[in-house]
Parts: sequence; structure tokens; C-alpha cells
Amino acid sequence: MSDKPKVAFFDFACCEGCQLQVANLEEDIIKLLDLVDLVEFREVMTGSTSETYDIAFIEGSITRKSDEKRLKDIRERSKLLVAYGQCAVNGGINRLKNIWHSMDDVKKCVYGDDSYMPHLDTYPTKGVDEVVKVDLYIPGCPINRDEFLRMVKELSLGKIPRLPNHPVCVECKLKENICLFDKGVICLGPLARAGCGAICPSNGSPCEACRGTVDNPNKNAMHEILDKYNYTVEEIKRTINLFGVNPEVKK
Amino acid sequence: MELLKISKKNFLSFVDKKMSEKKSRIVGVIQKGSHFVFDDLQSSKDLRLDYDVTILPPKKYFQPQKEVMLKFAPKNVESYVAVNSYDPITIFGIHYYDLAAIYLMDRAFSDGDGDEHYIKKRENSLLIGSYPQKHFKQRFSRSVVKDQYYKVADLMLVDMGDEYVIEVVSEKGKNYLKGSQLKKNTYSLKQVEEAKTHIKDDQKLPVTVDIASEFLTRNYYHSVWKYFGDKCFSCGSCVFVCPTCYCFDVCEEIDLTLAAGQRIKVWDGCMLENFAVVADGHNFRRDRADRFKHRTFRKVKYLPDRYRYFGCVGCGRCADACTADIAGPNKVFKYILEKQ
Ligand code: SF4
Ligand code: SF4
Ligand code: SF4
Ligand code: SF4
Ligand code: SF4
Repeated sequence: MSDKPKVAFFDFACCEGCQLQVANLEEDIIKLLDLVDLVEFREVMTGSTSETYDIAFIEGSITRKSDEKRLKDIRERSKLLVAYGQCAVNGGINRLKNIWHSMDDVKKCVYGDDSYMPHLDTYPTKGVDEVVKVDLYIPGCPINRDEFLRMVKELSLGKIPRLPNHPVCVECKLKENICLFDKGVICLGPLARAGCGAICPSNGSPCEACRGTVDNPNKNAMHEILDKYNYTVEEIKRTINLFGVNPEVKK
Repeated sequence: MELLKISKKNFLSFVDKKMSEKKSRIVGVIQKGSHFVFDDLQSSKDLRLDYDVTILPPKKYFQPQKEVMLKFAPKNVESYVAVNSYDPITIFGIHYYDLAAIYLMDRAFSDGDGDEHYIKKRENSLLIGSYPQKHFKQRFSRSVVKDQYYKVADLMLVDMGDEYVIEVVSEKGKNYLKGSQLKKNTYSLKQVEEAKTHIKDDQKLPVTVDIASEFLTRNYYHSVWKYFGDKCFSCGSCVFVCPTCYCFDVCEEIDLTLAAGQRIKVWDGCMLENFAVVADGHNFRRDRADRFKHRTFRKVKYLPDRYRYFGCVGCGRCADACTADIAGPNKVFKYILEKQ
């Protein structure tokens, strides 16, 4: 028996892109395996395994009744539960469907005639913490590999890992990028939580806040600016809401 | 001060020669898309002394965004080794206001015991300054900078059209020029002065520097702080691009084996929400308005009180970088004056 923490990875409704980020750690994955004891990387068994875990990493959002049961079972068997990837953190891109008025319309739009098949049953998307207690969040769509490694290292050292609480603009400035607003492009960088190295603006695309926002985003100020760019209230909300950020402001 | 002159063509050959000698890292202003940045020069042809402003000031060479201070093995006191790297560097084309800012930085980092990491880098640097040749809509340096830039520059280039007049400010600068095609200056002092100042600023500080501190103190409880605070994203752009902002955080990084680590310095700034968080999570500048006020007071009162010179050199970078369009210290004065 080793004294390394027993670690397992599980996925729910998602594209598995975050898993891929972990799998793509290349040589670091070998070093990572010196730190942790990987007991499960892909849920092949049903929820009936009796294995217990020190850390369970949960990817994906919760979209069905049966997901809840499986998730609660994992929670019961895990000392620490980590929601990794924006789908798990707050529902992520999957949460877009919640804007629709009825789930039947959503299903019809996506699956057409097959929408009533029982395995396609779905309810409004939930983040993991809407079903069970989450101990740690690793945001991003997909997650940032370096941040993932930092979190695992800090957990191994018994530290409480923290997320940066400053906007993406900080990392964008450090890279000496030309601000997209200078080119008339709307960017959510001033609201978005840093940690990705401002990868999108550094490559010419606006930030869409895929890591959620800082703790206290100044949404009022963003509404003012989008208003200056002649955005309607609906357009403003849609821009802010892509990755499940609540676009409402305090009056 | 000795004045010499050199043709632009010979000046560029001089830069190329310095590059081929490889005695120091050679940095200058180059174009980046529609903007300009300080970067390593590949050829004198890339040097753009006609720039308006650079995105970041040259402070990044003396106070790097991330700098290793020491290396260690966890839980082993014996293992700690200090790290400091300061290879010689020569920087071409620093505008006079950025030099004035370096003067303030020098003062701050040599206060008390001094900061070896900064001081050593500065000792191994040679600074070749210049005067703006292009308008920049946010600049107001003329109303806040006196001649403190001469305290740090080694040489200053004055653009005379086909030639540069070189103001030889330091002994080190004079030695650097050895072997170049220099001539005696033939321009009158008036012509040189005109060439140094012919580009006028588009902005100005609405009050004189002498009364600015007292003026602001009188308005400590003015509504301006909340008005601008409400619009502020706390994004920190204004402090990161500022040549007189030097704040940093110190943290530790451990490698994946957990057997080796390093202590690093990284840029930080008072406009960020977590900057003033202390033990137990208490934040002594929790409100945006307080942070906005602190930054302005630091430029206009705290630094001048301590170092005699105004803490803002009027480069206009903060105003340019601020998405909310509120960061220029001159704007605060303007707002207060309008509301009186
Ligand atoms: S967060 Fe993004 S990358 Fe990760 S699983 Fe969800 S959709 Fe895929
Ligand atoms: S491009 Fe976006 S992230 Fe970068 S500074 Fe501008 S607003 Fe901020
Ligand atoms: S720049 Fe914005 S959208 Fe892009 S990865 Fe970072 S947080 Fe996500
Ligand atoms: S406060 Fe603004 S204008 Fe003044 S030196 Fe800093 S960046 Fe330049
Ligand atoms: S750049 Fe503007 S919005 Fe950002 S912290 Fe500074 S004042 Fe606030």
C-alpha cells in the first residue's frame, strides 16, 4: 500500500476536453503519477463500486436525474471533491440551454425526431455544486494544465489552493498585447478571472470569460461600456452569459 | 553638458556595431502592430525613434514581471541559495518622461537597505534617452516633469532632421560613444531646445505641480472617488503600464517532484481587489473608490512628499489602457475643478 493520495476522475455531460488536457500533460503526467495513485480515470463501472478516494475530480455538468444519483454516490466515497472544467464548475457552455423556455424545444432543436428517445431525456443544466458539496474548483473551458498541476501540488503539500482574483486584463497587459477595445472589439477580460495567461486576446480573439468572473466583477461598468458600443440590453446579457456568468446587475 | 552630433546614417551603423560587439544586451523601441514596445533589437533598421508611446515602460528590464530571488529544497534551511541575474543592458530611445520615472524607481529601490535585485540591474544598464517626435493624445509630461531625467540618462538624442545632436550626460555615456563617427555640434542652443520641445502635449495637469498635493488633500472626501470608483473594473491595467508603479508580490513555486522550489517576485498593484488583503482575509482597501483614491494619492502626494518629485510623469499610458476611460490622474483634477 502506498501513502500517495488515491485519485479518481469522472465525467458527466461534457466534451471531455478537460480530461484531454490532463491526458496531454505529456512528461509531467509521469511525475504526477509519482505524486498520486490514479485508481480511476474513466468511469467504466457503474456507480456500484465500493472504492473510496482521497480526491475525486469531476468533469462535466449535471443534466439528468440519474447523474445526480451517480454523483452523490461518488461524493459519499470521496474525502475531497474537485469540480474541474467550467461544465462542472457552473454548468459552463451546457448552461446555455437553460435560457430556452422549455426543455422540449431544446431537445427538438438538437435531436429532431429522436428527441423523445428515453436516453436523451434531460433537465436544465446544473453545476456540480448544485447537487453535492464541492471542495475545490478548477475553472476554464478547457482547464489550464499549469493551473491543474499547481492545484494538485498544493493539495499534496496540504495547502489550500487559491484561484487568482484579478481580471484577465492583468495577464493581457503583462504580454504587452494591444487591447482589443482599441480595435473596437468587445472583450470580457475586465470581468473574467485570470489564470489562463490571457490566451485568447494574445491570439487576437476576445475573452469570453470561460473561467467565470473575478469574485466581484463590475458588471455595471461593463453594461455602461457595451451601451456606449450601442449594444441592446439583450445583446449585452448574451455577451456576458456565454459561459454561465449571470449577466444581471445590481441596480 | 557636452553636445556632439552624428548623422542618422552613422548613428544606425553605430547601433549595428554595438550589436555585433555583443558586450551587452541591446534593447530599443520597435513596432508591434499599430503600437510600439521595448524589445531586443535584431537590427538597427527595426529601431523606431519616432514612436508615440510604448505599451509597457522600460521598467520591465529592472523590475521583471517575474523574477527568481532564491532557490531551495523544501524543509531544508541549508539549501537556500540567493539568485540574482544582471547581465549588462543598453536601452535605446527612452523618452525623457520614462527616464524621470526611472529616477523615482531608483530612489524607491535604494531607500533603506535597498533592493539588490533592482540596484544591480540598474548599475549594469546604459540608458540612451530621446524626446518625443510624435503626438500622443493622452500625454501631459511637460506639465509634471522638470529636468530630473538628466539624473539617470547617460546620453540623450535630439532629432535634428538628418542628424542627431547627442547630449552627453554621463561619463559612462561618453565612453560608450568611443569609436563612433561623431562631430562637434554646430547647432545653436536655441535650435536644440526647439527640437527637444517642438512636439507639444495634447493634455496638461489642470493645476500646477506645486499645489497639486495640497489641492487633492483638500478633496479627500470629494465625490470624485466614488464617481470613478463605480466605473472601475479593478483590472490593474493602469498600474501595470505605469512607469512609476513598482509594487510586487512575493510567492513560492514548487516543482512537480516537490523536492525543489523557488521564491519569486511578480508584479502586483494597488488597483487589484486582493492587493491589500492581510492575514485572516481582512482587506483594508476593499472598496473600488478607496483603491482608486489610493493610487491617485500615491502619485500626487505620497511619492512627492517622500522623494520631492511628482509621482506621475504624465506619460498617459494609464489613460490609454483604461477601458473605463477614467485612469489619467489629470482627469481627476479636471472632474474636481468642474464640480466646484
Ligand atoms: S469545460 Fe469545456 S473543455 Fe471542459 S469538458 Fe466542459 S466543454 Fe469540454
Ligand atoms: S484585450 Fe481584453 S483582456 Fe486584454 S486588456 Fe483589453 S479588455 Fe483586457
Ligand atoms: S482569455 Fe478568457 S475566454 Fe480565453 S481562456 Fe482566458 S478566460 Fe477563457
Ligand atoms: S499615472 Fe498614468 S500618466 Fe502618470 S506616470 Fe503613471 S501611467 Fe503615466
Ligand atoms: S485601468 Fe481603469 S478600470 Fe482598470 S483598474 Fe485602472 S482605473 Fe480601474
